Amino acid sequence: MQSKRDVQKFIDDMKLGRLSRRDFNRGLASVGLGLVAAPLASRPALAAAEDHPTVYTWGGYEVPEMYGEYLAKYGEAPNFSLWGDEEEAEAKIRAGFHPDVGMPCSYKIKKWNELGFLKPIDTDRLEHWDNVIDVLKEVPDTFIDGKRLMVTGWWGLTSVTFRTDIAPEYIPEENHTWGILWDPKYAGRLSMIDSLIDGVMVAAIYSGAADPFNMTSEEVAKVGDLMREQRPLLRFYTNDLTSWEQGLASGELVAAASWNDTPTKLIKDGLPVMFMNPKEGAMTWTCGIVLFNYVAPEMEERAYDIMNAYLSPETGEYWIGEFGMGHSNIKSFAQFSSEELATRGLPPDDIPGYISSGIFQATIQNEPELQAMYEEVKAGL
Amino acid sequence: MIRRLLASPAGAGGLGALLLERVRRRFLRSPQMRGYALLSPTLFVMLLFLVVPLGILFTLSFWKQDGLFFAPAFSIDNYVAFFGRIIYSKLLATSIGTSLCVATATVLLAYPMAYCLAFRIKRAKIMWLILITVPFWTSFLLRVFAWKITLGYQGVINSGLMTIGLISEPLQFLLYNRFSLVVTLTHAWAAFAILPIYVSLEKIDRSLLEAATDLGDGPVARFFGVTLPLSMPGVIAAFLFVFIPTVGDYVTPRLVGGTGGIMIGNIIQTMFGRGNNWPMGAALAVISMTTITLLVIVTLWFIRKMRQR
Repeated sequence: MQSKRDVQKFIDDMKLGRLSRRDFNRGLASVGLGLVAAPLASRPALAAAEDHPTVYTWGGYEVPEMYGEYLAKYGEAPNFSLWGDEEEAEAKIRAGFHPDVGMPCSYKIKKWNELGFLKPIDTDRLEHWDNVIDVLKEVPDTFIDGKRLMVTGWWGLTSVTFRTDIAPEYIPEENHTWGILWDPKYAGRLSMIDSLIDGVMVAAIYSGAADPFNMTSEEVAKVGDLMREQRPLLRFYTNDLTSWEQGLASGELVAAASWNDTPTKLIKDGLPVMFMNPKEGAMTWTCGIVLFNYVAPEMEERAYDIMNAYLSPETGEYWIGEFGMGHSNIKSFAQFSSEELATRGLPPDDIPGYISSGIFQATIQNEPELQAMYEEVKAGL
Repeated sequence: MIRRLLASPAGAGGLGALLLERVRRRFLRSPQMRGYALLSPTLFVMLLFLVVPLGILFTLSFWKQDGLFFAPAFSIDNYVAFFGRIIYSKLLATSIGTSLCVATATVLLAYPMAYCLAFRIKRAKIMWLILITVPFWTSFLLRVFAWKITLGYQGVINSGLMTIGLISEPLQFLLYNRFSLVVTLTHAWAAFAILPIYVSLEKIDRSLLEAATDLGDGPVARFFGVTLPLSMPGVIAAFLFVFIPTVGDYVTPRLVGGTGGIMIGNIIQTMFGRGNNWPMGAALAVISMTTITLLVIVTLWFIRKMRQR
């Protein structure tokens, strides 16, 4: 059945009943085979998706504004796969999912490196490396054994957002403290972030532990007591930012541990809230870009192009403008006026100083012990 | 093709075909084998997706977490740890307590609905049955969120009461505690209680009710003497249908439970997630499964004893 004539003959034969059963079956089989093989024929359509590296990251990071440079260069987007949180990502990668580029936070790097996920990054191939703010190059655990494993892309602070109309006594700078989350006056109207790094570590900083990320057993016990004291005062533990944002907006919450995009959003909506700079120290989180060990040699060039795109000042502008969080490229701040930066909780003059004013999140050393303690606290023991 | 090959003993490879033929004969003669063959797709799925994972879970519960990896050595350490830390047994107990409340509330609320459906509604029963299940066509998560909105600080109940002027400040006890957990779960599982109770009520022979009336029973005596005992199988089934799955629930406590509504499911999830101790999580899962099974067996045994008397 190579040509139109053959097809015509086949149909005529069939009509006239001249077709043997075998011929008919052969005809049908060829059609079937053709259908099965059809996807193989349209090879170019598949190739497009395969020619780009796969980026494994948080939801919201896959919008075109984030990788403008890459789009301009290749005219197409990289492939994206999104994770809910890094634990889920870890489980999936261990189970055999092999992406090329990822965007975890700094405290995950050590573990991911030990799991063999990561490939060292050659900073010479990063166009914007020289513009990365210096203090962000020294985030703990992103540089291990002389190998650059994560390039910081974005950062922000974890601190307290509180309602200035309900708790005006905390407005003066010298009264800024994590202690508002332990204030019995606001019992039932406080919330904590439900995680070790943003929750238990907050209590650790408040407790005055020498190194919150590497505490002694006594210090852990002290943190545990503090958290037990706090639990009845809390409305909930949550790691869903909508919950605490809505809580603060409705007045259900007076103060909530949060990230610095929360005040940005709430102030935009005209709500009387303030982001604290606690005297015990805020916490600086830094997340960035990693290269996975699974990147194929011929994909590496494009993987670096993705990193370059995410680190570009244009992406940084979008980041600061839309998310109200910091970007690692110092040039991306140039486009914003002092007031614009201030409403986002970012200081206009001394960005590096502001970053290092917080306590950098690091790998938690005694994670199982803390996890066990945290479970008991939450279970009311 | 295969049929023909099986049918002719003189097919290719003489002896092999002969054997095949004998197997086929035996197979066709045995009703049991035919039964299994008919079941086979389902049986296969059950084996692959229920029995095998359960086996894996069971095996895993005897392993140990060694840093980032598993140490596949047999040890009962995880089970010892369950009794070593009070948190696990406490959470299991509170989970069972919560589920008992939920199951009781669900059955109590579902019974009148099922009763109405079985005895009062005469026309278009199917339509009513479908109407009752309509809320359950939406996602479980949506229903939980609906309750969050209803019970919330600025939710339907609070703003309603404030508009009437009954309260001046929103009620805090409505959401984020065990109360909201029980309310949400009760509603979420209602359909699973209504249907079995309805079926058992529907099956009751109406002449028995007439006989009871003829013999002088009032409506109340008739209900407790005839209707309720005859519908007990449905009530028990409904109770178990709700009780068993809710013990292990973790999404609902997470969303509406607040600081006080943690259940065993949450800690199992933590173990498999950021707790990074899969063997312990597996052991906890096995223990809660066993506990629930034992509870159910004891209850059923007790009910049977009661009936024999």
